[in-house]
Amino acid sequence: MVATIMTNKKVLFDPKSLKFLTAVSSAEYSKPTLKMGALIASVFDASHGVVYVGERASEFHGSSVNLTRQNLDNWNIIHPGLEVLEWALQELKTLSPDNEELAKIQFNPDHVYEEDGRVRVILPDDKGCRIELVLREGELVDQLRKEIQLEGYDLAIIGGSQNKRHLAHSILQYLPSSIFVLQKFNPRKKYKLLLLVDDSTATGKTIEWGALIAEKLGWPVRTLTVSKTKRFGAGYQGAADKAKAYFDSRGIEVEQFFLTGDPVRTFVEFAGDNHFVIMGASTLNPVKQFLFGSKPIKTLEQTDVPILIVR
Amino acid sequence: MNSYIDILFWIRQKKWLLIAMVYGMCMHHFVTPPTDLNPAAFDALIIISMALILIVTEPLPLPAIAMFMLFMQVVLGIDTANNVASSFMNDAVFFIMGSLMLAVAIVSQGLDKRLALGIITLTGHKTWRIVAGFTAISAILASFIGEHTVAAMMMPVGLTLVRYAHKDPRKVAGLTAALLFSIAYGATIGSIGTPSGGGRNVIMMNYWAEFGAGSVTYLEWIKYVYPMVLFQIPFTVIILLWTFKPEHSNLDSAVRKLVVDVARAGKIKGREWLAIILFILVFLGWVFLSEDFGLGIIALLGVFLYLSFGLVEWQELNRKTNWGVILLFGAAISIGIQMNQTGAAEWIAHVIITNLGRVIDNPAILQGSVSVLLTGVMSNILSSSATVAVVGPIVLDLGGDQILIGFATAIASAFGYFTAVAAPACTIIYSSGLVKSKDFLRAGWKMGVLSLVSLLGLSLLWWPLL
Repeated sequence: MVATIMTNKKVLFDPKSLKFLTAVSSAEYSKPTLKMGALIASVFDASHGVVYVGERASEFHGSSVNLTRQNLDNWNIIHPGLEVLEWALQELKTLSPDNEELAKIQFNPDHVYEEDGRVRVILPDDKGCRIELVLREGELVDQLRKEIQLEGYDLAIIGGSQNKRHLAHSILQYLPSSIFVLQKFNPRKKYKLLLLVDDSTATGKTIEWGALIAEKLGWPVRTLTVSKTKRFGAGYQGAADKAKAYFDSRGIEVEQFFLTGDPVRTFVEFAGDNHFVIMGASTLNPVKQFLFGSKPIKTLEQTDVPILIVR
Repeated sequence: MNSYIDILFWIRQKKWLLIAMVYGMCMHHFVTPPTDLNPAAFDALIIISMALILIVTEPLPLPAIAMFMLFMQVVLGIDTANNVASSFMNDAVFFIMGSLMLAVAIVSQGLDKRLALGIITLTGHKTWRIVAGFTAISAILASFIGEHTVAAMMMPVGLTLVRYAHKDPRKVAGLTAALLFSIAYGATIGSIGTPSGGGRNVIMMNYWAEFGAGSVTYLEWIKYVYPMVLFQIPFTVIILLWTFKPEHSNLDSAVRKLVVDVARAGKIKGREWLAIILFILVFLGWVFLSEDFGLGIIALLGVFLYLSFGLVEWQELNRKTNWGVILLFGAAISIGIQMNQTGAAEWIAHVIITNLGRVIDNPAILQGSVSVLLTGVMSNILSSSATVAVVGPIVLDLGGDQILIGFATAIASAFGYFTAVAAPACTIIYSSGLVKSKDFLRAGWKMGVLSLVSLLGLSLLWWPLL
């Protein structure tokens, strides 16, 4: 798991132990999501799971559907959804042409293991490349939550198309990992990293994630601290100073911004359409978040840029 | 912190369970039953309305909903534990259990490859003929062995043809939809043809006996309903070809590849012959012995024979049979019987007749249209069999000829063309991921009109002659 303390000098991550999960829906819509998922996983040297969440048949006819699927196996017609995972594996190979371990892996739809309501593709010769392909059926948030809990993923990467605005609340409230929502993500675009810095406990990890991404992708970094009043308290100022010192210690140039106003509206306006936002998860009581929302939930609802919420 | 999130997540997932519980408690404690409805009948209505909420929204597994319906009858004092237990199991539930197990036994024989060859030999290579063949064979087979069995056997044939026609089925969406819907709608229109075509038909037969409406034999059912199956087949083909417009008019190459594929299975084996002979015996038992032994008992006898001859393993039957559905139908029929015995069904029927009677003068038209529309709409939301289990007692109390009203209801329960949830065959093709919800609407409304017109014709022109 990700370490929770940050010092001015060094990163306390253990990147080798990080596990990222990318949710894909189809070859047509999920290419940018998978590309970013693979990139981020390689940046952090994390193991990478790819999950496809399909629709679940009504329980009334569930056994008839299962009977049909078993019969389809006899005709070598694969379980719906497996073709998306096959595409995902192929795509991952294309994205990492130098990964010899990955190149060796062959997709075989017959080599699947059904357990805990999920279908896991068994990948032979996968030692060293740390890839997992999983098919689930049911409601998206429920299934992602189960997968994250089962495998202990640290980060869930979700495409913007899957993130209908009404899902923002559920995704941020119930997924027990950091969440990266790739809204209108363009892999060819040069983004600026925008880190939202305040006195919350999640800011430390926000900065660590930001620094690693900035180092690997070479994107310029900006920090933004927003106060509701004209006075920036010691907590806000201290957090901003710490962030600056941390980036300096790693040789990353950073631009600092201090703005006054409603935090969410200011974040959204500042982010525009060319930033890649990183912010900490809310530390509000879950019941309060459920009833009134939180800064990350509202920001995700209102902005269209890629956003990483660090937990 | 995490426990709060777990609780909130549980609330999110189970909100419909909570809504149903709050609704039930409020109705039971704070709402006074109408003066002409006794408290037990009122409680039966509360249980069934709560169960409907739970079935449609699925916050609980089906067996849990079944158990809820059973214990609530005793908790609310509607009946004693022993009476509830005895109303839970009857021949209709035996039939549903037997037909689900027979489906597993039949599908596991690999007869679908023979079926594929048979259809292709009959139809040739032209797309419209293949669609017609799929529809007709699905309809005729489904009328005897049930739509879920036919759809499970026909799906691989349809998908293989599509795959051979184009590597990416989405590039031949019209052909894919036409073939898959010919299986689903073919099986659905066929399922009304005989009592063994669907569990809902047997549930209705059970209600006829329970309501003292008389009995209908297997052959009598065929005589009343089969003309509608035959009438609908050609029109279904026209509707499907008109709606989905296949990209290829000839599937020459795909058919040849399919034939090569199927030919690998070799000649029909003794084991397969035995499986066919056993099913024919079961069918003959349904036709000639069901009046004495019951359809369910004969279905169970068939399962016994398949097990005895080693054509299927118990472990396989056990694993692939949906026991939850069996429990649910047992419980739904049990509460349906309580609706009859407590007078709840009669009360609802009276309310409907009184209110709609002001709009429609003719009682026969009123009874017919209420039973057909209520059943047709509900079967698109629930499932066809569950609809008959719930609606059956009400429509049989609407007045008029209970047998004819029952036929109309059982037939209308197959009008689940609009959604993927109504009929197992529709769910099966939807689960392929190759047809969309809107496809059901595109073709479904036309099928709905066709079926309504056919049922009207059947009741006005055919039934008076019998």
